[in-house]
Amino acid sequence: MNGFKVLQVKQSVFADNDRRAEELRQELKKQRVFLLNLMSSPGAGKTTLLSRTIEALDGKLKVGVMEADIDSDVDARTIESFGAKVIQLHTGGMCHLDADMTRQGLEALGTGDVELAVLENVGNLVCPAEFDTGAVKNAMILSVPEGDDKPLKYPLIFSVCDVVLINKTDVLPYFDFDMEKCAANIRMRNPKAKIIPVCARTGEGIDAWVGWLCDEVTKWKKP
Amino acid sequence: MHELGVLNALVHTVEGIVREEGLTEVEKIVIEVGELSGIVPRYIEQCYPAAVYKTFMEKTALELVVVPGIVKCRECGRVFNAAANDLYCLDCGGQNLEILEGNDMIVKEIVCR
Repeated sequence: MNGFKVLQVKQSVFADNDRRAEELRQELKKQRVFLLNLMSSPGAGKTTLLSRTIEALDGKLKVGVMEADIDSDVDARTIESFGAKVIQLHTGGMCHLDADMTRQGLEALGTGDVELAVLENVGNLVCPAEFDTGAVKNAMILSVPEGDDKPLKYPLIFSVCDVVLINKTDVLPYFDFDMEKCAANIRMRNPKAKIIPVCARTGEGIDAWVGWLCDEVTKWKKP
Repeated sequence: MHELGVLNALVHTVEGIVREEGLTEVEKIVIEVGELSGIVPRYIEQCYPAAVYKTFMEKTALELVVVPGIVKCRECGRVFNAAANDLYCLDCGGQNLEILEGNDMIVKEIVCR
Protein backbone atom coordinates (compact mmCIF):
# COMPACT_ATOMS: atom_id res chain seq x y z
CA MET A 1 0.00 0.00 0.00
CA ASN A 2 2.70 2.52 -1.08
CA GLY A 3 4.33 2.55 2.32
CA PHE A 4 1.11 3.38 4.10
CA LYS A 5 0.36 1.62 7.34
CA VAL A 6 -2.87 1.26 9.28
CA LEU A 7 -2.73 2.61 12.79
CA GLN A 8 -5.37 1.13 15.12
CA VAL A 9 -6.40 4.09 17.23
CA LYS A 10 -9.73 3.42 19.01
CA GLN A 11 -9.87 6.84 20.61
CA SER A 12 -12.90 9.05 21.11
CA VAL A 13 -13.00 11.94 18.65
CA PHE A 14 -13.18 14.11 21.78
CA ALA A 15 -9.99 12.61 23.25
CA ASP A 16 -7.91 15.75 22.70
CA ASN A 17 -10.51 18.02 24.30
CA ASP A 18 -11.04 15.56 27.17
CA ARG A 19 -7.31 15.63 27.91
CA ARG A 20 -7.15 19.44 27.85
CA ALA A 21 -10.21 19.61 30.09
CA GLU A 22 -8.59 17.29 32.64
CA GLU A 23 -5.41 19.41 32.63
CA LEU A 24 -7.48 22.53 33.27
CA ARG A 25 -9.33 20.82 36.14
CA GLN A 26 -6.05 19.85 37.79
CA GLU A 27 -4.78 23.43 37.53
CA LEU A 28 -8.01 24.76 39.02
CA LYS A 29 -7.62 22.29 41.90
CA LYS A 30 -4.19 23.73 42.66
CA GLN A 31 -5.52 27.29 42.43
CA ARG A 32 -8.51 26.30 44.59
CA VAL A 33 -10.92 27.69 42.06
CA PHE A 34 -14.23 25.89 41.62
CA LEU A 35 -15.56 26.01 38.06
CA LEU A 36 -19.25 25.36 37.48
CA ASN A 37 -20.52 24.73 33.96
CA LEU A 38 -24.14 25.86 33.72
CA MET A 39 -26.12 24.56 30.77
CA SER A 40 -29.70 24.70 29.55
CA SER A 41 -31.83 25.43 26.50
CA PRO A 42 -32.26 29.09 25.56
CA GLY A 43 -34.77 30.75 27.86
CA ALA A 44 -34.70 28.20 30.69
CA GLY A 45 -33.50 30.92 33.06
CA LYS A 46 -29.73 30.58 33.35
CA THR A 47 -29.06 34.29 33.79
CA THR A 48 -31.97 34.88 36.19
CA LEU A 49 -31.02 31.86 38.28
CA LEU A 50 -27.42 32.98 38.37
CA SER A 51 -28.46 36.47 39.50
CA ARG A 52 -30.53 34.91 42.30
CA THR A 53 -27.63 32.66 43.25
CA ILE A 54 -25.19 35.58 43.54
CA GLU A 55 -27.78 37.43 45.62
CA ALA A 56 -28.32 34.42 47.92
CA LEU A 57 -24.58 33.85 48.35
CA ASP A 58 -24.49 37.36 49.80
CA GLY A 59 -20.72 37.71 49.48
CA LYS A 60 -19.97 34.31 51.08
CA LEU A 61 -18.02 33.32 47.96
CA LYS A 62 -16.14 35.52 45.54
CA VAL A 63 -17.90 34.89 42.25
CA GLY A 64 -16.69 35.35 38.69
CA VAL A 65 -18.95 34.72 35.73
CA MET A 66 -18.22 33.99 32.09
CA GLU A 67 -21.22 34.63 29.89
CA ALA A 68 -20.97 32.68 26.66
CA ASP A 69 -23.25 33.76 23.88
CA ILE A 70 -23.14 33.72 20.15
CA ASP A 71 -23.51 37.51 20.27
CA SER A 72 -24.44 40.53 22.48
CA ASP A 73 -23.60 41.40 26.07
CA VAL A 74 -27.08 41.73 27.62
CA ASP A 75 -26.52 38.78 29.98
CA ALA A 76 -23.17 40.12 31.16
CA ARG A 77 -24.72 43.49 31.98
CA THR A 78 -27.48 41.78 33.98
CA ILE A 79 -25.00 39.71 36.00
CA GLU A 80 -22.75 42.71 36.57
CA SER A 81 -25.65 44.60 38.11
CA PHE A 82 -25.75 41.89 40.81
CA GLY A 83 -22.21 42.68 41.83
CA ALA A 84 -20.25 39.77 40.35
CA LYS A 85 -17.12 40.04 38.29
CA VAL A 86 -18.14 39.18 34.76
CA ILE A 87 -16.84 38.85 31.23
CA GLN A 88 -18.69 38.20 28.01
CA LEU A 89 -17.40 35.50 25.68
CA HIS A 90 -18.52 35.49 22.09
CA THR A 91 -18.36 32.07 20.54
CA GLY A 92 -18.45 33.51 17.01
CA GLY A 93 -21.31 31.30 15.92
CA MET A 94 -20.10 28.16 17.63
CA CYS A 95 -22.79 26.43 19.63
CA HIS A 96 -20.69 25.36 22.61
CA LEU A 97 -17.48 26.00 24.52
CA ASP A 98 -14.61 23.54 24.66
CA ALA A 99 -11.77 23.25 27.18
CA ASP A 100 -9.46 25.68 25.34
CA MET A 101 -12.12 28.37 25.01
CA THR A 102 -12.92 27.94 28.71
CA ARG A 103 -9.25 28.32 29.60
CA GLN A 104 -9.04 31.54 27.56
CA GLY A 105 -12.20 32.75 29.29
CA LEU A 106 -10.75 32.07 32.74
CA GLU A 107 -7.56 33.90 31.80
CA ALA A 108 -9.54 36.91 30.60
CA LEU A 109 -11.69 36.84 33.73
CA GLY A 110 -8.69 36.53 36.03
CA THR A 111 -9.17 33.93 38.77
CA GLY A 112 -6.76 35.29 41.40
CA ASP A 113 -9.63 36.72 43.43
CA VAL A 114 -12.29 34.19 42.42
CA GLU A 115 -13.47 31.18 44.47
CA LEU A 116 -16.46 30.24 42.36
CA ALA A 117 -16.17 30.67 38.59
CA VAL A 118 -19.34 30.07 36.64
CA LEU A 119 -19.39 29.36 32.94
CA GLU A 120 -22.81 30.19 31.57
CA ASN A 121 -22.65 28.01 28.50
CA VAL A 122 -24.44 28.70 25.21
CA GLY A 123 -28.16 27.90 25.43
CA ASN A 124 -28.22 24.51 23.75
CA LEU A 125 -28.87 20.95 24.92
CA VAL A 126 -26.80 19.14 22.30
CA CYS A 127 -23.24 20.38 21.75
CA PRO A 128 -22.32 21.61 25.25
CA ALA A 129 -22.99 18.09 26.55
CA GLU A 130 -20.30 16.60 24.31
CA PHE A 131 -17.48 18.92 25.25
CA ASP A 132 -15.88 18.67 28.67
CA THR A 133 -15.06 22.28 29.61
CA GLY A 134 -12.80 21.37 32.52
CA ALA A 135 -15.52 22.28 35.01
CA VAL A 136 -15.54 20.65 38.45
CA LYS A 137 -19.30 20.13 38.27
CA ASN A 138 -21.90 20.34 35.53
CA ALA A 139 -25.30 21.81 36.29
CA MET A 140 -28.26 22.12 34.01
CA ILE A 141 -31.55 23.90 34.21
CA LEU A 142 -34.72 22.36 32.87
CA SER A 143 -37.64 24.76 33.03
CA VAL A 144 -41.21 23.59 33.56
CA PRO A 145 -42.57 24.86 30.19
CA GLU A 146 -40.05 22.65 28.37
CA GLY A 147 -41.85 19.52 29.55
CA ASP A 148 -41.13 16.52 31.77
CA ASP A 149 -40.09 14.40 28.78
CA LYS A 150 -36.97 16.44 27.93
CA PRO A 151 -34.62 13.84 29.49
CA LEU A 152 -35.94 11.30 26.97
CA LYS A 153 -35.30 13.60 24.02
CA TYR A 154 -31.87 14.90 25.05
CA PRO A 155 -30.40 11.99 27.03
CA LEU A 156 -26.73 12.97 26.78
CA ILE A 157 -26.92 16.30 28.60
CA PHE A 158 -28.82 14.70 31.48
CA SER A 159 -26.24 11.93 31.70
CA VAL A 160 -23.31 14.36 32.12
CA CYS A 161 -24.94 16.57 34.79
CA ASP A 162 -24.20 16.41 38.49
CA VAL A 163 -27.22 18.49 39.34
CA VAL A 164 -30.46 19.27 37.50
CA LEU A 165 -32.40 22.35 38.57
CA ILE A 166 -36.05 22.25 37.61
CA ASN A 167 -36.81 25.94 37.25
CA LYS A 168 -39.98 28.04 36.98
CA THR A 169 -41.94 25.95 39.50
CA ASP A 170 -44.29 28.94 39.91
CA VAL A 171 -45.93 28.12 36.57
CA LEU A 172 -46.54 24.43 37.42
CA PRO A 173 -50.34 24.97 37.73
CA TYR A 174 -50.48 26.05 34.07
CA PHE A 175 -48.54 23.16 32.54
CA ASP A 176 -49.01 19.40 32.37
CA PHE A 177 -45.66 18.89 34.01
CA ASP A 178 -45.34 15.88 36.30
CA MET A 179 -42.43 16.47 38.70
CA GLU A 180 -42.16 12.79 39.69
CA LYS A 181 -42.27 11.60 36.11
CA CYS A 182 -39.59 14.13 35.22
CA ALA A 183 -37.37 12.95 38.08
CA ALA A 184 -37.88 9.32 36.98
CA ASN A 185 -36.94 10.26 33.40
CA ILE A 186 -33.78 11.98 34.64
CA ARG A 187 -32.82 9.01 36.84
CA MET A 188 -33.15 6.63 33.90
CA ARG A 189 -30.36 8.58 32.19
CA ASN A 190 -28.43 9.43 35.31
CA PRO A 191 -29.20 7.74 38.65
CA LYS A 192 -26.62 9.92 40.45
CA ALA A 193 -27.93 13.36 39.43
CA LYS A 194 -29.14 15.56 42.24
CA ILE A 195 -32.52 17.06 41.36
CA ILE A 196 -33.57 20.38 42.91
CA PRO A 197 -36.87 22.11 42.00
CA VAL A 198 -36.33 25.87 42.08
CA CYS A 199 -37.95 29.10 41.06
CA ALA A 200 -35.56 31.93 40.27
CA ARG A 201 -38.47 34.38 40.27
CA THR A 202 -39.95 33.58 43.70
CA GLY A 203 -36.79 32.23 45.32
CA GLU A 204 -38.26 28.76 45.99
CA GLY A 205 -35.56 26.10 46.37
CA ILE A 206 -32.71 28.60 46.01
CA ASP A 207 -31.47 27.82 49.54
CA ALA A 208 -31.19 24.11 48.72
CA TRP A 209 -29.32 24.88 45.51
CA VAL A 210 -26.94 27.38 47.10
CA GLY A 211 -26.37 24.91 49.96
CA TRP A 212 -25.37 22.21 47.49
CA LEU A 213 -23.08 24.62 45.66
CA CYS A 214 -21.34 25.87 48.84
CA ASP A 215 -20.78 22.25 49.99
CA GLU A 216 -19.20 21.34 46.66
CA VAL A 217 -16.96 24.42 46.68
CA THR A 218 -15.82 23.60 50.23
CA LYS A 219 -15.05 19.98 49.23
CA TRP A 220 -13.06 21.14 46.19
CA LYS A 221 -10.98 23.63 48.15
CA LYS A 222 -9.77 20.94 50.57
CA PRO A 223 -6.27 19.80 49.55
CA MET B 1 -23.31 23.36 13.31
CA HIS B 2 -23.27 20.53 15.82
CA GLU B 3 -21.40 18.21 13.47
CA LEU B 4 -18.89 20.95 12.57
CA GLY B 5 -17.92 21.33 16.23
CA VAL B 6 -17.53 17.58 16.53
CA LEU B 7 -15.30 17.54 13.45
CA ASN B 8 -13.12 20.35 14.82
CA ALA B 9 -12.58 18.20 17.92
CA LEU B 10 -11.74 15.28 15.64
CA VAL B 11 -9.09 17.29 13.74
CA HIS B 12 -7.43 18.24 17.05
CA THR B 13 -7.46 14.63 18.24
CA VAL B 14 -5.94 13.33 14.99
CA GLU B 15 -3.38 16.16 15.10
CA GLY B 16 -2.29 14.94 18.54
CA ILE B 17 -1.89 11.37 17.29
CA VAL B 18 0.07 12.54 14.24
CA ARG B 19 2.46 14.45 16.51
CA GLU B 20 2.86 11.58 18.99
CA GLU B 21 3.45 8.98 16.31
CA GLY B 22 5.65 11.22 14.16
CA LEU B 23 3.54 10.69 11.05
CA THR B 24 4.14 12.61 7.84
CA GLU B 25 0.99 11.91 5.88
CA VAL B 26 -2.53 10.83 6.72
CA GLU B 27 -4.21 9.25 3.73
CA LYS B 28 -7.45 8.18 5.34
CA ILE B 29 -9.21 8.10 8.69
CA VAL B 30 -11.82 5.52 9.62
CA ILE B 31 -14.42 6.84 12.04
CA GLU B 32 -17.07 4.85 13.88
CA VAL B 33 -20.31 6.72 14.48
CA GLY B 34 -22.75 5.15 16.93
CA GLU B 35 -26.44 5.25 16.06
CA LEU B 36 -27.14 6.57 19.56
CA SER B 37 -24.38 9.19 19.55
CA GLY B 38 -26.69 11.95 18.32
CA ILE B 39 -24.28 12.53 15.46
CA VAL B 40 -25.68 12.22 11.95
CA PRO B 41 -23.32 10.44 9.53
CA ARG B 42 -24.69 12.27 6.48
CA TYR B 43 -23.99 15.67 8.11
CA ILE B 44 -20.52 14.53 9.10
CA GLU B 45 -19.81 13.77 5.44
CA GLN B 46 -21.21 17.13 4.35
CA CYS B 47 -19.29 19.16 6.96
CA TYR B 48 -16.03 17.27 6.61
CA PRO B 49 -14.53 19.30 3.70
CA ALA B 50 -15.19 22.56 5.60
CA ALA B 51 -13.71 21.20 8.83
CA VAL B 52 -10.46 20.04 7.25
CA TYR B 53 -10.08 23.02 4.88
CA LYS B 54 -6.55 24.44 5.20
CA THR B 55 -5.56 21.88 7.82
CA PHE B 56 -3.06 19.01 7.53
CA MET B 57 -6.10 16.79 6.83
CA GLU B 58 -7.23 18.65 3.73
CA LYS B 59 -6.37 15.69 1.51
CA THR B 60 -7.27 13.00 4.04
CA ALA B 61 -10.13 10.75 2.96
CA LEU B 62 -12.94 9.98 5.39
CA GLU B 63 -14.52 6.57 5.85
CA LEU B 64 -17.49 6.28 8.15
CA VAL B 65 -18.62 3.07 9.80
CA VAL B 66 -22.03 3.19 11.47
CA VAL B 67 -22.21 1.21 14.72
CA PRO B 68 -25.70 -0.12 15.62
CA GLY B 69 -27.28 1.32 18.78
CA ILE B 70 -27.67 -1.75 20.94
CA VAL B 71 -29.36 -1.50 24.33
CA LYS B 72 -30.54 -3.76 27.12
CA CYS B 73 -33.94 -3.12 28.71
CA ARG B 74 -33.51 -2.68 32.47
CA GLU B 75 -37.12 -3.86 33.02
CA CYS B 76 -37.17 -7.19 31.16
CA GLY B 77 -33.58 -7.75 30.05
CA ARG B 78 -34.21 -7.85 26.31
CA VAL B 79 -31.31 -6.77 24.12
CA PHE B 80 -32.29 -4.95 20.94
CA ASN B 81 -31.47 -2.18 18.46
CA ALA B 82 -32.84 0.98 20.07
CA ALA B 83 -32.30 3.24 17.08
CA ALA B 84 -34.61 1.09 14.95
CA ASN B 85 -37.25 0.96 17.69
CA ASP B 86 -37.44 4.59 18.76
CA LEU B 87 -35.90 3.87 22.20
CA TYR B 88 -38.82 1.66 23.32
CA CYS B 89 -38.41 -1.95 24.42
CA LEU B 90 -39.93 -4.38 21.92
CA ASP B 91 -41.24 -6.67 24.65
CA CYS B 92 -42.39 -4.52 27.55
CA GLY B 93 -42.42 -0.98 26.08
CA GLY B 94 -39.99 0.15 28.78
CA GLN B 95 -37.78 3.18 28.24
CA ASN B 96 -35.26 2.46 30.99
CA LEU B 97 -32.47 1.26 28.76
CA GLU B 98 -28.81 0.53 29.31
CA ILE B 99 -26.70 1.39 26.28
CA LEU B 100 -24.36 -1.46 25.35
CA GLU B 101 -23.01 -0.16 22.06
CA GLY B 102 -23.30 2.74 19.61
CA ASN B 103 -23.18 5.64 22.04
CA ASP B 104 -20.05 7.39 20.83
CA MET B 105 -17.91 8.51 17.94
CA ILE B 106 -14.47 6.96 17.72
CA VAL B 107 -11.35 7.30 15.57
CA LYS B 108 -10.93 3.65 14.67
CA GLU B 109 -8.01 3.67 12.25
CA ILE B 110 -5.61 6.05 10.62
CA VAL B 111 -4.07 5.07 7.30
CA CYS B 112 -0.79 6.92 7.29
CA ARG B 113 2.95 7.01 6.77
